This record gives sequence, C-alpha cells and structure tokens, in this order.
Amino acid sequence: MTCITSTKHAAHRTSRAIPHHDSQKRGAAMSWRLVLPLAIAAVTFSGASGYAATPSSVQAKIRYCKDCHGLSAQGYRGYYPIPRLAGQQPQYLKNQLRAFINRSRPNPIMSNVAHVLRPGMIDAIASYFHRLHPPPIGGGPRGLVAAGRSIFENGVPQDDIAACAACHGPHATGRGEIPRLAGQLYHYVVKELSNFPRERGQNPAIHGPSFIMLPVAHSLNRHQIRAVAAFVSSLR
Amino acid sequence: MPVTPNGRRYLRLIGSSTRLALPATAIFLLALSAAGPAHAAGADTISRQAVNAKVKYCEICHGASMRGFRGFYPIPRLAGQQVEYIENELKGFAEHTRINRTAPGATNVMFNVGHVLSPAMVKALATKFHNFNPPPVGGAPTAHVAAGEKIFKQGIPGANVPACMSCHGPDAKGNGVIPRLAGQLYPYVVAQLTNWGHERTEKNSQIMAPIAHQLTKPQIEAVAAYVSGLR
Repeated sequence: MTCITSTKHAAHRTSRAIPHHDSQKRGAAMSWRLVLPLAIAAVTFSGASGYAATPSSVQAKIRYCKDCHGLSAQGYRGYYPIPRLAGQQPQYLKNQLRAFINRSRPNPIMSNVAHVLRPGMIDAIASYFHRLHPPPIGGGPRGLVAAGRSIFENGVPQDDIAACAACHGPHATGRGEIPRLAGQLYHYVVKELSNFPRERGQNPAIHGPSFIMLPVAHSLNRHQIRAVAAFVSSLR
Repeated sequence: MPVTPNGRRYLRLIGSSTRLALPATAIFLLALSAAGPAHAAGADTISRQAVNAKVKYCEICHGASMRGFRGFYPIPRLAGQQVEYIENELKGFAEHTRINRTAPGATNVMFNVGHVLSPAMVKALATKFHNFNPPPVGGAPTAHVAAGEKIFKQGIPGANVPACMSCHGPDAKGNGVIPRLAGQLYPYVVAQLTNWGHERTEKNSQIMAPIAHQLTKPQIEAVAAYVSGLR
C-alpha cells in the first residue's frame, strides 16, 4: 500500500516537472537564470529528504513491517517463520537491510522491501524496533530447553562448537552487529542454522559476523540446532 | 570392508592368487589398525589436520588470525602471545584458578574449551598463535595514549606502580610466563586490570594483583589505550 502511494506521488512529481522544464527551454535566455537555482533547490531538497524521515512516514513504514513481523514485532509464523525484530540490535538490523539491498543476503521479498528504504528511514526503524519488548511468541519444544542452555552457555568443545554466550551474551541480547537471539522464533532459528550458507550474506573478504558463524552452524547437528533454538526462543 | 576399484585392479594384477591376496590384505589391515592406536597413544604427536581444525575453532571467538574480537565480551588477542603464558592460562582455566564465566551460575567457558585439550595440542596451538602477526584490532580512545605510554615506561613511583616495561618489555611483547600486551584489545585490558582479583587467582598472576589494585580507572584506561595500539 505504502509503495503504491509513493510511486504515484513520484509519477505525479515527474509529470509536473517535465512540462515545466520544457516551457523554460522554450522561453527566452533569461529563463536559464531561473533553472539553475531551481535545479540546485531540487537537488538540495531531495538530498535532505533522503536522510531525515518524517515521523508520519516512519510510523507508516513501521505498520507495514508489522504486517508480517507481528503487531509488536514479536515475530510471526506465516508460511515462512518471520523473525522477531523487537529488542533487536540496531546495528544488526541495519546490516541485514543493507545485505538484502545488495543481495548478499538472498531473500527476494526482503530485497524488495529494503531497497526502497532511504538511510534515514533505516536508522529510524532500527532504533524503533530495538526499543520494543514484547514477550516471546513461544512454541519451541520445552523438552529441549535444558540441553540447549548447556550448548548456549558452554558450547560443545569436543565438537569444536563455541559457546553462543561468548558473543551473543549470557542473556542472548546480542551486541552491536551481533544479533539478539532472546525470544527469537524457534522455527526461524532452526531454519537459519540449518541452512546457514544459503540464508546469510557472508563475505570471506570482510570476515563479518555471518562469516564467523559459518563453521559454528556447520558443526551443529540437527538435534543440537533444535535444542539451542528451543532455549533461545524461550528467553525474554 | 568394501573393495575399492584400485583394490580390485590390484587383485587382478596378482592374477589367480586371490587366495593369497586376501590374507595379505587382512594382514595389511591388521598392521594398520595396530599402528593406528599406537600412533594416537603417543600423545606428543598430533596431526596437522587436527591442530588446524582446532585453530579454526579458536578463531570463531578470538577472531581471524587470533587478533581478538569484540563479542558480547572482549575476547583477547592471542596472536604473537608467549607460548608459556598461553599454556599457563589454559592450565589455569582447567584447574579453575582462572575464572571465566559468561553468566552467574554458568560454567566456565574456557574451562570447557581447555579441559578437552591434550598437552601436546595445547603446545601446538600456543606455538601456532605465537607465530601469527595480524595488525591490532584498534578502536581505543586516542586521547590518553601519551599518558599511557608514560605509565608503561616509567610507572607511577608515587603510587607504587612499577613501570610495566620492566617485565613486559619495551615493546610489550612479554617473555615466557609474562604475557605480550602489544595489540591486545583495549576493553579486554581494561576489564582484566579492573577485575584482577576476581578473575585471576593462579600463582603467576599474584605478582600483578597489587599493581592492578593501585591503578586508578583513568590510569588503567590510559595504559590499555597505549598497549592496544602497539604492533
């Protein structure tokens, strides 16, 4: 809905701008003295709107995000598990949106969502979602929580699996570019860990956090993935 | 035991004497299986593959080339670290004289990591790490580097703080049981010096206890900023 409206506005602006420009060209030489300041004003204006999102446009965009990510961004089980964004680290959210835009994190739906977002909008929605704190949606197998806690806190050193807590924190709240896992959807965590190389944007050249997780996800077996997902999905 | 294509060709080569070849293969396999455990039991030899796999595991938290990583906690640089120091710390973790918990009540993360390592693996890893030389991670505040350098080189005699350099060396490279500080993560050095007595209770660390206790917070931050920038 938001996308359609903004496209209409853009089209409207263009249709008005072109005849105006043409008439200027058709006019006398004096009109050039008008065009240049107008062009400068236009560039300045579009530049400013690119970095400062208005409160109403931010609110509209947040409602749009919540259509899929849940009314309080607690995550939602659609056809696919749609992740919780509430309480998520702003730097992580920004990195992921950028990864969707440059398609290093392959997800066609999110690429379309993200590539219309200006940097100012990305900053605004990332800090908004960070402040939300709804309870976890639940639904993970409770029987696996204890086993998952052990993996999360201690790792499995004999299988070369690092303790999740070392980077994600003892309460799985994450830090900076390292994501919060507390309260994340069980099915989403299982899906990401099971399919890590194809789900996440990782670039060996920059050795970013997704690249760091690659060997960990690879070393975890199915049972361990389900256990650790059950544990983190239960955390508040 | 499935017969590989190569194995079949070998059998064909010796022609009709399959009756001979089978016992020969059996003896060969027996010899192999006997050699296997003997090889593993000699704990001072470790395959390069096993060491490299373990190095990869360590790099997950300690960063590429062990340059250190800012996870939820600052995870220290081990690149260029003194071999004996790394051995001592891993021993300290295994004996619970060096405490490293991610949460109150949680078990000691580095205890879990350390206690599955054989002494030969510890030695091999420590040697590997000692030979890494990536640039420092950086990120320390630059304002107090000069003050930190002064503390490092001259100490604070009025506060009974000796010059760090007298033990850690003029380039902060350390020596034997004394750790390298050059390029160490700023927040890690700050955390260690601030929390010395709670984390480091092993014998070798006792010499640092009064020094860490004497340093004020701004002094700790200054000296941490200085060493974290050294290559």
